[in-house]
Amino acid sequence: MAAQDTMTEGLSARSGGLSLRQRRTLLHALIFFTLIGLWEAGARLGLLDPLFYPRPTSILNSFYLIYIKNGNVWFNLYATMSLVIAGWIGGSILGVGLGALVGFNAVVRRFLKPYVIVLEATPRIAVAPLLIAALGFGASSKIAIIVLVCFFAPFINTLSGVVNVNEDKLELFRSLRATKMQVLRKLVLPDAIPVIMAGERLALTAALSGALVAEFIQRDQGMGALILVYTRNLNMASSFACIFTLTILGFLIFKGMEWVDHHIAYWKNEAGMKRIGDRRRRQFGAQVGE
Amino acid sequence: MNASVQAQANGAAGKSVINAKGLSKTFGGGAVVALNDANFEIRPGSFVSLVGPSGCGKSTLLRLIAGLIDRTNGELAVHGRDVTGPRTDVGMMFQKATLLEWRTAVENVLLPTEMAGTVTKADRKNAADLLRMVGLKDFLFAFPSQLSGGMQQRVALARLLQTGADVLLLDEPFGALDEFTRERLNVELMRIVGEVKATTLFVTHNIAEAIFLADQVFVMTPRPGQIASIVDVPFERPRPLSIQTSPEFNTLVAQVRDILGEDH
Repeated sequence: MAAQDTMTEGLSARSGGLSLRQRRTLLHALIFFTLIGLWEAGARLGLLDPLFYPRPTSILNSFYLIYIKNGNVWFNLYATMSLVIAGWIGGSILGVGLGALVGFNAVVRRFLKPYVIVLEATPRIAVAPLLIAALGFGASSKIAIIVLVCFFAPFINTLSGVVNVNEDKLELFRSLRATKMQVLRKLVLPDAIPVIMAGERLALTAALSGALVAEFIQRDQGMGALILVYTRNLNMASSFACIFTLTILGFLIFKGMEWVDHHIAYWKNEAGMKRIGDRRRRQFGAQVGE
Repeated sequence: MNASVQAQANGAAGKSVINAKGLSKTFGGGAVVALNDANFEIRPGSFVSLVGPSGCGKSTLLRLIAGLIDRTNGELAVHGRDVTGPRTDVGMMFQKATLLEWRTAVENVLLPTEMAGTVTKADRKNAADLLRMVGLKDFLFAFPSQLSGGMQQRVALARLLQTGADVLLLDEPFGALDEFTRERLNVELMRIVGEVKATTLFVTHNIAEAIFLADQVFVMTPRPGQIASIVDVPFERPRPLSIQTSPEFNTLVAQVRDILGEDH
């Protein structure tokens, strides 16, 4: 008994009174920096080909160069992001609009279905050169490529969200003599929101890839063009810095969309329900005698 | 046209809320007879249970009265008016609560009012009072996913009452709930429909439940679905749960079981 006591005491003393969470974070950091350290050491010892594996310290230096010293990344980042946003908005409007139209109209659905299947089977990026041929070099063809690659997820999700309305709820609305407009506004749209949002999330990720491909082809500006230039000049460290920039960007986009999703589909999470429930209580509490 | 005039005459003469004469419903061009030649009159304020095995046409009958499906033959009138579709004086509650997940309990209860027009302060007060009546005073602003199955059905019941309909159709409303919750809700349902003086039709496949709740039990049998017999329940409403152990109650259970035959 006494021996056990001293043992547990010893353990807690060694962990320095950290919580489980803190210890996990510490462990993650330890593993991460060990890997980076191994990478750095491997590169310095000549075990890794510097052409493909630039040293982490050089990548860090490149970050300094492209963000601060030269500052050339900002303009390209801006160029890429404005494309992504424009293309994503365009693709979303097209996707959600067409999805709703096709979802509501059985006749349109029947006649459009084969084309949708063909479009789904075609790698949409393959059409990119044709779009450039049709629209010429410049923003318009780039945006068209992004619209094309990111339109599909919102389209399919909106379509399925609108078509797969719960039968019981439809019957309830019918028994309450709801008009078509009421069914649309009070049932179909809110019911489809979570699945539409999931489509939008996919679309935004696709939009980023689409923008890079468009820039790879046109090579004039943007992160895609920047990566091309650095790689062609064998400046791998700066290429990596650009790629990691996109990683961070992708992560931020993902998190941002998650945040938006939490707020729009508020009934899917506890915090959202609490927030809206409290808001309703403030709005109507007095009227209902609370 | 002719049928509707006839039905109106019936309604006026009989002082009954619901009249059915030779009411039939077939599906698949007559291949399946879901309900065959139903004849009945239901008095205002009475509680009628429809009991029978699957396929006996009890849900079909309810949906016909709700105006959710069209009859194949016969006459059917509510308040002396021919049933041609869903209407405001008839309300329906389903086996599933079918609440809108993105709305709080109060907003769910207000749905029927929104369909009919604009929601006023009085409507909101009424909806909240109905939720209090069904025992949800602390959950006015809770979302469906925050409520238990029994509580969700209570919200659905409040929503049914919010329609202001005086004919209430309940299709196995507590069928998916556990025995204890179901019994409690049955007792409350009896109290509530007594308070609002509604005419109630209640579908169930539980014989004891059917008798416990009702003034009249429509005993229904399948192939073809039909009303085999109408059994009167003589006890005063509301009744205590303990009535189910009385000899008279058990005689009625035996009687209904006998009509249902080997099927049950």
